[in-house]
Amino acid sequence: MNTYNMVKQRFIKKWINTLHMLDSSIEHPLNVTERKNAIRLSSDLAIAAARSGATVWSRALISRSGNKTTNKPMARRILKKARNRIKNRCSTLRRNGNFTAKVGVRKRTELLKSLVPGGELIDDKDYLIRETLDYIVYLRAQVDVMRTVAAVDLVTGNLTNDRRNK
Amino acid sequence: MDLTGGFGARSSGVGPGREPIGLESLHLGDEFRQLVTTLPPENAGGSFTALLELPPTQAVELLHFTDSSSSQAAAVTGIGGEIAPPLHSFGGTLAFPSNSVLMERAARFSVIATEQQNGNISGETPTSSVPSNSSANLDRVKTEPGETDSSQRLISDSAIENQIPCPNQNNRNGKRKDFEKKGKSSTKKNKSSEENEKLPYVHVRARRGQATDSHSLAERARREKINARMKLLQELVPGCDKIQGTALVLDEIINHVQSLQRQVEMLSMRLAAVNPRIDFNLDTILASENGSLMDGSFNGTPMQLAWPHQAIETEQSFHHRQLPPPPTQQWPFDGLNQPVWGREEDQADGNDNSNLMAVSENVMVASANLHPNQVKMELISYKIHIRFEAMELDDQINIFCVETSNPSAVTKSEYPSCRCPRLE
Repeated sequence: MNTYNMVKQRFIKKWINTLHMLDSSIEHPLNVTERKNAIRLSSDLAIAAARSGATVWSRALISRSGNKTTNKPMARRILKKARNRIKNRCSTLRRNGNFTAKVGVRKRTELLKSLVPGGELIDDKDYLIRETLDYIVYLRAQVDVMRTVAAVDLVTGNLTNDRRNK
Repeated sequence: MDLTGGFGARSSGVGPGREPIGLESLHLGDEFRQLVTTLPPENAGGSFTALLELPPTQAVELLHFTDSSSSQAAAVTGIGGEIAPPLHSFGGTLAFPSNSVLMERAARFSVIATEQQNGNISGETPTSSVPSNSSANLDRVKTEPGETDSSQRLISDSAIENQIPCPNQNNRNGKRKDFEKKGKSSTKKNKSSEENEKLPYVHVRARRGQATDSHSLAERARREKINARMKLLQELVPGCDKIQGTALVLDEIINHVQSLQRQVEMLSMRLAAVNPRIDFNLDTILASENGSLMDGSFNGTPMQLAWPHQAIETEQSFHHRQLPPPPTQQWPFDGLNQPVWGREEDQADGNDNSNLMAVSENVMVASANLHPNQVKMELISYKIHIRFEAMELDDQINIFCVETSNPSAVTKSEYPSCRCPRLE
């Protein structure tokens, strides 16, 4: 319980930062889709930053998100850094024992690789599972926090409208 | 950078003493205000890297963390066998079971890795906990990719990560990250693990009656590692326990990840639809000084109590795009129901009493639509929360998280009330 809360806390902190950064660097006004993309981008960056780039998925997420924000030169720097680390990671993962993969498992691991950011670069199934586990934790934290914030916004919105309508 | 320093100092301050529902001292609400108000101006691209390397790396914090983790490790290993995660049906609701222990275990894994990846230097504590986890090191030693790339020296096979200097203690620290469930009783000793730091070979001790061929040993080690991780993944993903076979478990995991990603998409769409601003008041929400987010048992209700106050401020801040400094509030509270109804609401916001009354009025407004039991609960919780003072950001977030970590069943029950019809 303690640690999951800490995960969420870190996520919230980063999310505040990324929202601010994104908000000041994007020109307004925006339509709903762009806003949604911006929010999604900011929260993805936040979970990746909360993971501090120590996992493949977080770095891949950063590099993937870096492509979407063209007006952030700093993101490009991060992108380069992430790419390098991912390359290094690939070469270290080559040394494994042989493992037998059955057809069904094989297909599913391919699918999982496509889901987890940066998964395609991972050869070791064991490592892939570890990455997935970590990614799930942070995804869930993201969902929990966003859901709560959305609910809060709903309440606030209702009450604000109530006051306005009086 | 200024931000980094600020974060580090603050977090280290609260690290050792943090409790989930801590009501204590902390009063650095203005520090958070500072942070939030200075953040937009400092918003140059440079802050992004600062963002990434932000997590604090205080030795004391790590020390405390490793202490608690090692004790938790023992506890979890003891009870690991009998923990049956509550299985909620995954399909119907969006409610995830609050497998607190599992999430904790899994999250601790990542948190420990994060902590020690950031260059911690304290090493004395981990050594005590290493023997208990040395069994895990058996498998850990061989392939060590992952979170600890920057500090883990035990990647005996890999020669790439050697350029980052790190004391030996860090390796022992890194080995502590494991799924405590994996309490295998192999006879690997510490000193052999130390040898592994320098030698390119893995020293693995075979169990009785098993082949000592290096290939089969390596394969066995990998297989055991994979199986243990699959088991943990199984527990993390709801509904996976009853499934046998790797392929089906992977199916469930894939479904889980896909659904989580879809949820994130939907939630971000929802947030975008509600607010015209991108940084939708998340900071005002968290800067709420009343700390009414307390007490997880009251889940949705405290939110409804807190946000009315925010609704007042939000209207003004909405147009100004800046955060009003949240006034510290003491809410001496005498009786809720009747006297409140009669009060005026059109006083200045700076006035404590008027804030209280306006909030109360909103509470009444909101609760009038609720079930009477819920109203009673709200009143009770309101009274309980009434004495809280301005809390430090970390505690606020703590509470925020505690609240969200409770079973969503309760939170979901609040949703219908959130959509209460407008009052005339």
